[in-house]
Amino acid sequence: MEDSTLLFGRQWVVSQKDSSILKLSSKIPAIENKKCNRCGTKVEYRLPSGKFYCRGCIGIGRIVEGDFLVRQNENYEYPAKINGGMTWNGKLTSLQQKISDELVSNFKQKKHSLVHAVTGAGKTEMLFQLIAECMKSGKRACIATPRIDVVNELFPRFEAAFAEIEIGKYHGREFKEPGLEQLTICTTHQLMKFYQAFDLLVIDEVDSFPYVGNPQLHFAAKVAVKKNGVRVYLSATPTADLLEEAKQGKIQILKLNRRFHGGLLPVPSEKLFIKPFLDKKKQIHPKLLNEIKKVIKSGHPLLVFVPRIEEIPVYLQILQKKLQDEQIKIAGVHAQDPKRLEKVQAFREKKIDLLLTTTILERGVTFKHVWVIIIAADDPIYTAASLVQIAGRVGRAKDDPSGLVLYCYHRYTKNIRSSIKQIKEMNK
Amino acid sequence: MKKCLLCEQGFTPVISFAEIFSLKKYRELKICRHCQKQFQRLTGKQCAICSRMLDKGIICNDCERWKRIYQGDVLRNHALYRYDSTFHDLMVSYKRRGDYAMREILQELCYEYLVKNKYDYYVPVPTSPEHQQRRQFDTISAIYGDILPLTTVLIKKEGSHAQGEKNKEERLKTPQSFLVDKTINIRENKQTGKVLILDDIYTTGRTLYYARDCLKEVFPGMQIESFSICR
Repeated sequence: MEDSTLLFGRQWVVSQKDSSILKLSSKIPAIENKKCNRCGTKVEYRLPSGKFYCRGCIGIGRIVEGDFLVRQNENYEYPAKINGGMTWNGKLTSLQQKISDELVSNFKQKKHSLVHAVTGAGKTEMLFQLIAECMKSGKRACIATPRIDVVNELFPRFEAAFAEIEIGKYHGREFKEPGLEQLTICTTHQLMKFYQAFDLLVIDEVDSFPYVGNPQLHFAAKVAVKKNGVRVYLSATPTADLLEEAKQGKIQILKLNRRFHGGLLPVPSEKLFIKPFLDKKKQIHPKLLNEIKKVIKSGHPLLVFVPRIEEIPVYLQILQKKLQDEQIKIAGVHAQDPKRLEKVQAFREKKIDLLLTTTILERGVTFKHVWVIIIAADDPIYTAASLVQIAGRVGRAKDDPSGLVLYCYHRYTKNIRSSIKQIKEMNK
Repeated sequence: MKKCLLCEQGFTPVISFAEIFSLKKYRELKICRHCQKQFQRLTGKQCAICSRMLDKGIICNDCERWKRIYQGDVLRNHALYRYDSTFHDLMVSYKRRGDYAMREILQELCYEYLVKNKYDYYVPVPTSPEHQQRRQFDTISAIYGDILPLTTVLIKKEGSHAQGEKNKEERLKTPQSFLVDKTINIRENKQTGKVLILDDIYTTGRTLYYARDCLKEVFPGMQIESFSICR
């Protein structure tokens, strides 16, 4: 028998033929009663052999009927650390402190919570005491989020705040051997690799793609926490099903309507366009170009959101030509971009002045002094939640709490109206 | 309402009046119109030999080379779609992840063309035994087996590497890895005098030319052509 301490709390697939046995592990059929035990999907498709296979979680390796899921379930206790290994000594505002205290007390009482806080409220800092409480008692925690970019943003902040705790970072773009870190920061997809591992699971940006409306990931999130573990959801724009659960008393809702610096959320301004943003000769609308130039003149870094990946190189080429005289660096980034992480980092360090992006940068990322223009804010790809999130990128710093958010549209959509309404409501 | 195999969203297939009254067997659509539009048909000017899209000229560079190597005896390849990122993603799901259901999409994309053009024999390019065992299906036969009667006379030697893992130069240097399966009895069928080799993607042409070399002994005197969904 092999030792497998590092695999505690994990689950993985072995084929029928594999007969190796690990200490303290359990083995269950991966597909049972036409249901996948890793992602909860009902299996409908078969291989030529007649065996069912699961399409729901095929992205992390195909499960075929007859395969087994091995689960390494063991209650591992980490050595207790004074102060929970927290080395952060910043101060919370009184509003943040209140939420933070409530999170700690809910965790002690094993109650689930939903933190409904405006963008830029300082959600991450409000988690520190909660995580410290969990670490102090030798328990295991995980912070999961649907977006890789958010994982990359959270990881260094927690590394700095918990210098004495080993933290594991897992997402699909980086290979990492499984470890037994006391704190895990990962994408929600990675949760499928865990089984009853965590005493505390925090899901950040719970309303964002691909977690929202994805039954496989919801299933994985339920399976990854221990039976008596605690779940915490964070969102600036909670979905209806979470609010419903809160109403039923299954989760406690904690609201925070102020940014940490006490400033209001910037209310987006709107601009109606009659002619297309790009005409047939691939010329940019002069009014739009003007708005972009205004931001460049003001010296603020600018995020320009476009609805589709294919449009990024088109706009990139035009803007590079039209803004030649401004002496600025322009780049475009999207989900499939291999240099995406480097470009985002360069924009953060102000080595890029104008970044064209799709909705991948709509949330969870902070750029100092940034202003935002959304081209085609009426495109169906922008839900009210994503518009609120995009607007929330602006004015996050204490010394610069306001800024420009501009929606450019042809049609005034329900989502535009609803997003502005939500922002104004939270400002009340 | 049906669920699209690609985007998982519901859609209602559009049926025309002509289709309702036609005697043709109705094939259920597997993907929605939006996803279907993502696949780009080969249009406009194409290489007269391998169907690749061209800006100028009649024959592409790849075919010029084959013309030299085979002293003018080139292989006519029919292809329908461009091998772009959409197709790449589809093939990753189908071959690398082993999502067998994806064959239904590939079938939908080439069904009409294949039933319209008649050949005496259809020979699928074989998969290496190692790959077949891992995937638990044969990628090419799985696509075409439901549409056409296949004559599986080719087998792939064990231990040969997949073309997809190599660059262009390495692909071209690959040695012959096909064998003729002598145990297969070929039923008599001579109407058009034509044989069609079936593959999924035509990249350099190396695979298909080797397949034809083998088939020349099996079908002496017959005209051999090939079909790939993508070029």
